[in-house]
Amino acid sequence: MPMTLFQCDTVIPEREKHCYIKAPGEDTTQYLPSANIATIPGTLSERGCSFCGAKLVIGGVIKDAIQLIHGPIGCAYDTWHTKRYPSDNDNFQLKYVMSTNIKEKNVVFGAEKQLRQSIKESFDACPHIKRMIIYTTCTTALIGDDPKAVAEEYMEAHPDVDIFVVQCPGFAGVSQSKGHHVLNIAWFHEKVGQVEPKITSKYTINYIGDYNIQNDALIFNNYFTRMGIQIIAHFTANATYDECRSMHRAQLSVVNCARSAGYIANELKKKYGIPRLDMDSWGPSYTADGLRKVGSFFGLEKEAEKVIEEEEAKWRAKIEWYKEQLQGTKMCIWTGGPRLWHWTHAVEDELGITVVAMSSKFGHQEDFEKVIARGQTGSIYIDDGNELEFFEVIDMMKPDIIFTGPRVGDLVKKVHIPYINGHAYHNGPYQGYEGFVNLARDIYNATHSPLWKLAAKDIRKGVKKEAQGEATV
Amino acid sequence: MTCTVKEKERVGVINPMFTCQPAGAQYAAIGVKDCIPLVHGGQGCSMFVRLLFAQHFKENFDIASSSLHEDAAVFGAIKRAEESIHTLIQRYPHVRVIPIITTCSTEVIGDDIDGLLLKLNRQLKERYPEREIFLVPIHSPSFVGSHMSGYNVAIKAFVSTLAKKGDPNGKLNLITGWSNPGDIKELKHYLREMEVDATVLFDNEGFDAPIMPDKKSFTQGNTTVEDIQGMANAVATISTAKYEGYSSGEFLRERFSVPHHPCNPPIGIQATDDFLNTVSEITGKPIPESLVRERGQAIDALADLAHMFLADKRVAIYGSADQVFALAKFCQEVEMHPVLLLMGDESSLYATDPRVKELQDNATTYDMEIITGSDLFELERRVRDKEVELDLILGHSKGRWVAIDNQIPMVRVGFPTFDRAGLYRYPIQGYAGAIWLGEAIANAIFTDMEYKKNKEWLLNVW
Amino acid sequence: MNEQIEELVTYIQERCLWQFHSRSWDREENIEAILTKTGEILVELPSVVETDAEKCWFADARILAATFKQQYPWIKSLNAEAIKVLFDGVKARMREITVEKSRNEELHQPNY
Repeated sequence: MPMTLFQCDTVIPEREKHCYIKAPGEDTTQYLPSANIATIPGTLSERGCSFCGAKLVIGGVIKDAIQLIHGPIGCAYDTWHTKRYPSDNDNFQLKYVMSTNIKEKNVVFGAEKQLRQSIKESFDACPHIKRMIIYTTCTTALIGDDPKAVAEEYMEAHPDVDIFVVQCPGFAGVSQSKGHHVLNIAWFHEKVGQVEPKITSKYTINYIGDYNIQNDALIFNNYFTRMGIQIIAHFTANATYDECRSMHRAQLSVVNCARSAGYIANELKKKYGIPRLDMDSWGPSYTADGLRKVGSFFGLEKEAEKVIEEEEAKWRAKIEWYKEQLQGTKMCIWTGGPRLWHWTHAVEDELGITVVAMSSKFGHQEDFEKVIARGQTGSIYIDDGNELEFFEVIDMMKPDIIFTGPRVGDLVKKVHIPYINGHAYHNGPYQGYEGFVNLARDIYNATHSPLWKLAAKDIRKGVKKEAQGEATV
Repeated sequence: MTCTVKEKERVGVINPMFTCQPAGAQYAAIGVKDCIPLVHGGQGCSMFVRLLFAQHFKENFDIASSSLHEDAAVFGAIKRAEESIHTLIQRYPHVRVIPIITTCSTEVIGDDIDGLLLKLNRQLKERYPEREIFLVPIHSPSFVGSHMSGYNVAIKAFVSTLAKKGDPNGKLNLITGWSNPGDIKELKHYLREMEVDATVLFDNEGFDAPIMPDKKSFTQGNTTVEDIQGMANAVATISTAKYEGYSSGEFLRERFSVPHHPCNPPIGIQATDDFLNTVSEITGKPIPESLVRERGQAIDALADLAHMFLADKRVAIYGSADQVFALAKFCQEVEMHPVLLLMGDESSLYATDPRVKELQDNATTYDMEIITGSDLFELERRVRDKEVELDLILGHSKGRWVAIDNQIPMVRVGFPTFDRAGLYRYPIQGYAGAIWLGEAIANAIFTDMEYKKNKEWLLNVW
Repeated sequence: MNEQIEELVTYIQERCLWQFHSRSWDREENIEAILTKTGEILVELPSVVETDAEKCWFADARILAATFKQQYPWIKSLNAEAIKVLFDGVKARMREITVEKSRNEELHQPNY
């Protein structure tokens, strides 16, 4: 049976339709895991809430907007100091979060007054900032506040201010994914087209679905700049609020994370006729493909080849060295969704790794079509994997390295498997050529750590002493 | 000199120094052995708290969610809570305790978890006759209090649900307030030295979990159901945090006539002395020579530092009220000046807390300011506008940018301390805690002197 | 011919993201346009590349054609007629996998 019920799931047989082991000759017309459907309660799922998909993933990256969370304090606290996306304006977006700090009396009597006051206080505290994103949360959605009216009222009184309201409480969807969707669509309809960008090149693109994790954005920024291309807006890596309002002026939308931001690329295509070009930003071969395609679009083929040649010259030897060391390494990717299909072939083709299991928290079936088309037969593909399933996968596949979040990473270290932060990276950036060397180095260092050999030894069973002068591990 | 206590004037929060009640309830629950808490709410309410604990401890904690989705807003989600409990019981054979922690959404919707637990308590016995499952309702709406009050509420829920009158067990109850494993280890060491048998709420020494050769070690709390049941039969309760555990001591006194001896968190020499004397008075056990020696080592270590390096240094301290008061007292012991105290939640009790007067009485040469209901912007703004000049910040990692951007030496203390390695392993309580605090502060100041080339030659000989 | 179609389809499945755009009409449009242009490039027929959309499809087609020539040398021996037949087959198979028989339940939702 290619759809698989793990032993730990005997009491929740509905998990079978989420877990797939690919057999030879199969394709996604035969088997495709269910995805983006309700979480089975009490499974220790890894999913977050819809609010966090909007705030923590996309909106919170914008570097010059106040992030005001309309809700109890926890929603602001939790989505602050929980991501690694720096910016070139001294990290304003990492340093500040505002909350209306809703209390019981607000639940009873409404919280709009609290919101009105908090908007004012926030701008007063940051006089150089004129942009704001307000997010509703479970409580303020349930009590039926109208934050949009409050925001509009403030904007009328302060013409230099612009406020975007995201109405996506935590319970709105089954995972973060709903928050991506709500923010994309609302931003497109309410904000795109309002600002005219300064055009500095004949060649303009939007770079969509990249969030500048550990300065990823600098890498492709650099490549595109060398090709003479202007990026009108990153959505939303190191981006300003107003750059993202001027996305309608780009000639091409280059899409990296189709899951979290394919929506806005589609809408840009529909309304403004801006074509959507999807690419993978990790791994040299994908990077070269992406640059070539963008080069071809603009007639900048030579410029693209030059960048590729220079980067190859700089990094190829290092990548080859790591490839030799990492042959046969077995890897799991348990992240959000898109990185499964972005990474599986990249690490297999270019580093000699085998990806044995992949689990997605919030991917849709589209993501599974992509990853199953790309991934190995014999590998495991899971939607919304949970803790006990992960342990079963470890027993079945015996991975050497797991790309996942810190929490699951802290869990698997107890069974002597190193993890690498698949969301925020260990020592990134990981995109492009340079980034792929970083990624390879982190895998190499994690899998070759002397500590794992030591961990396996039981000193009660007479650990053999190393001869003097030899390496001790 | 003066000590003004006032509440933050802004209604909103800029850079919170505290989080919401369910986080505190979850912190209590992970201290219990064979326990998987169920957070009844949106998935973020547990996922982010698990992440927060992972950030602080670099460990995983099992916490489940009832995964509230949109239909719950219309139909309620009690069914999802019920399903979660069955799923947990069946998939985790070791589980004995499941606290059900409410959140803002499920409190607003009005899900009746107490009714559900009554029903389940009957049903579970029939359905899982070989298992004894303890369900603990914890009401912790996010729009009330803070993570400290959530912790407080959760302790009370555990004690009031589980404690059971039986034969006197001769044990001492120790309710510590929010503590790190390093603190718990230290306090347990004192109790062992004094030959006192105690139930510690919560014994979280297991959070410092090893990697074992057999791969079978996982992170969890050590306090058992039986420990909590037995608290009704103890000789006395000591609670060391007024806002994080005191009410449970009172509950045990009122319900089970267990005498209650509240005292301050044993941070600093005097407070640790008070704590040990209280233990000794209650149990009749003398304080052994070994602890007198440990105390002497602490005073010796601090004497090396206080007059020369720490004296007159102006300190801002932020965090939970019990810890802030205690750290301020410690600062005064080592001749530092705690000029600014910031407490994150907005309890009206803080202004009249007797510790305010005590601190003021000791502050003979400087003014103090205490802000309640505070956020980290209160600290940042004062520093930026030069309303206060600081030599040191004591607080958790969420305030790191105030220290970094203003180049003020900072010692991470409290929860969470994710931007420094392994701090949960070290005590700030007890005599060893006083040593750690004093030396960490001194080393932070030394590093600062070297980076700023501010009398960096001073330490050329020391 | 079927074997050759499968070879190309396997490559496209593993490598190309345009076949997986969000909705059925996006996928159909991409398959038709990109594969038509790929065939045209392979036999050096002129391709219509005027609008931005056509430029975008052409960009993908060029990469694909270059790879096909390199990885599947037999393709170079085919004439225009044979290429058309081959690519009609590839298109049909691609539509079958990613649209007609796709189990992706979001494919036909009217909105993005």
